[in-house]
Amino acid sequence: MMIEFVNYALNGALLGLLYALVAMGFVVIYRASKVFNMAVGEMLVLGAFLVWWAVAASAMHPAVGIAAALAISVLVGLAIERLLFRRLIGESVFSMIMVTIGLLILMRGLVLLIWGPQERPFPAIISLTPIIIGDMIVPRPLAAGGLIAVVCAAGLHWFFNRSRTGLAMSAVAEDHQIALAMGISVRRSIAFAWALGGVLSVITSMVYLSGKSLTFLSSEIGFAALPVALLAGLESIAGLLLAGLIVGIVQGLTAAYIDPLIGGNAASVVPYLFMLVVLVVRPTGMFGWKRIERV
Amino acid sequence: MDPSGIFFTRYETDSALVRTRAQWLALALFGAALLLYPWLASPRLVAVANLMFVTAIVVVGLQITTGYAGQINLGQAAFMGVGAYGACVIEVKFGLPFWVGVPAGGVFAALAGWAFGLTAARIKGFYLALTTIAAQFLFVFVVLNLPSSWLGGVNGFSLQAARLGPIVFDSDRALYYLFLASVAVMVFGAFGIVRSRHGRAFVAVRDDDVAAGMMGIDVAGTKARAFVLGAFYAGVGGALWAYQIRFVSVDQFTLFNSIWFIAMMIVGGLGSIVGALIGTVLIRAIQETITSLGPDIVQLVPALGSDIVFASMNVFLGLVITGFLLLEPKGLMHRWNIFKAAYRLWPFPH
Repeated sequence: MMIEFVNYALNGALLGLLYALVAMGFVVIYRASKVFNMAVGEMLVLGAFLVWWAVAASAMHPAVGIAAALAISVLVGLAIERLLFRRLIGESVFSMIMVTIGLLILMRGLVLLIWGPQERPFPAIISLTPIIIGDMIVPRPLAAGGLIAVVCAAGLHWFFNRSRTGLAMSAVAEDHQIALAMGISVRRSIAFAWALGGVLSVITSMVYLSGKSLTFLSSEIGFAALPVALLAGLESIAGLLLAGLIVGIVQGLTAAYIDPLIGGNAASVVPYLFMLVVLVVRPTGMFGWKRIERV
Repeated sequence: MDPSGIFFTRYETDSALVRTRAQWLALALFGAALLLYPWLASPRLVAVANLMFVTAIVVVGLQITTGYAGQINLGQAAFMGVGAYGACVIEVKFGLPFWVGVPAGGVFAALAGWAFGLTAARIKGFYLALTTIAAQFLFVFVVLNLPSSWLGGVNGFSLQAARLGPIVFDSDRALYYLFLASVAVMVFGAFGIVRSRHGRAFVAVRDDDVAAGMMGIDVAGTKARAFVLGAFYAGVGGALWAYQIRFVSVDQFTLFNSIWFIAMMIVGGLGSIVGALIGTVLIRAIQETITSLGPDIVQLVPALGSDIVFASMNVFLGLVITGFLLLEPKGLMHRWNIFKAAYRLWPFPH
């Protein structure tokens, strides 16, 4: 009994760290550009299709293929900045959110046009043999994902809070006009954000999809990871790890113990309910910036 | 702005919705055209018009919540679903007629909207927009997990045609007149709401909620009211939808539909009831064209495959949303108003 509980909690926690890695796509772009990117799931699918195309379809060496996928993904990110967000500097919250939703649908349509709706076996970039510790069985991609999430979070946390460039980007996230007035290039910051988002989406797609099948619907993990980003607060990268762990463990235990009772899929809504409760108490998440509003 | 030479000498004429004789004439002609439409158009086009009417009610509701009160709502389709299921329950479980079911559907949806409106009192901006997505997930979860004898679960819900005395609304033409009357009532109501004290409070809260609060507006209450009203419209639209399709299931009310509604509102113009109507008609018309032309294109170029219709619909929607936000964020209504002002002032620039 006890060992099962620990097993569910551990797997939930690792899944939560995967969510944190996906949610990093939201936070990194927000933290450097004040754009909330709803299209994270679609970027992940695009990254995944690029990896699939390079490694499985074109039979490149995995290292070369991944490098190619990363390069193309960064270029796509830069193109998105050039075509859409450069024109939106200083625009309203509504425009920003809606443009990324438009982008989400556009990317879904383009992925469907280019690759079609068929299922594709994603290459096992990370070996699938599970890690066995005593009685516990841990899937290797999830374990690797957890490690990558922690490393990425630490690196990005240092970058945005300690380095000079990162702090300049934080100013952009606070206010475009003030950042411009301080001599910070908002354009370059947004371009960097989207390039970084492209890199993260390729990395996340490999962790998430290794050995699974890939379709355009894989993007739904973007909405599954949304509560993690909101729970942490949109500005906090290190907070994502804690939020991811909480959401993952709650979800894992719900799936294991509550779902059989009600015969339904409570695990998919529990993160949202949890997020709603936390947001009503703390409207900017656990670690988000509290903005003081003036008239 | 009125054309030159038109002066109002009494307050009632100045504050009337339809203010000049020319406007009355145009409205009467438009109404007559709408009444004659089902006798002139093919049955398919009448069905399309019915769909437009249902959507128009939902989008007008979204316009009140988002366009006027500035509260982004990504869950309008879920509220529509609540209305549709509400009407089904009233009809199937309680055997009450549609004229109870449709308003009741609206009330159920309004209650759901109220719950989310309360969170809007505390949660703002990005966070609020994203929590409304939760409405979508909760709706699907609740419907699928309640005992299937309550809401039909995965099998959905079928219901009888609406009846009013001897009239049975089972043909598209009969439904057309029912929907036309509903749209007329709802749109007239929306014009009243946005011109009222509450409507002006919505606009004040949208423009700056801190400033609105200092002017003595109950900001939290206003936001909750905006959600309640928008959800009520969505619920009525959903209930009418249920009577048109006569079958309701959760996959008719997806996040994707909510995004379509927002796209219609953006194309028409934020903060304009007429804009919501124009956007709805335009986008629905283009959707129908793509759907009906799709098979022909696939036949001409079989290499494209039948998935092209769905894919190109996505590309189209994405381009419409991003294109309008970049090039004309105020929508078609704004363009029209600019044109009208220029035309009336000609040959003077101002």
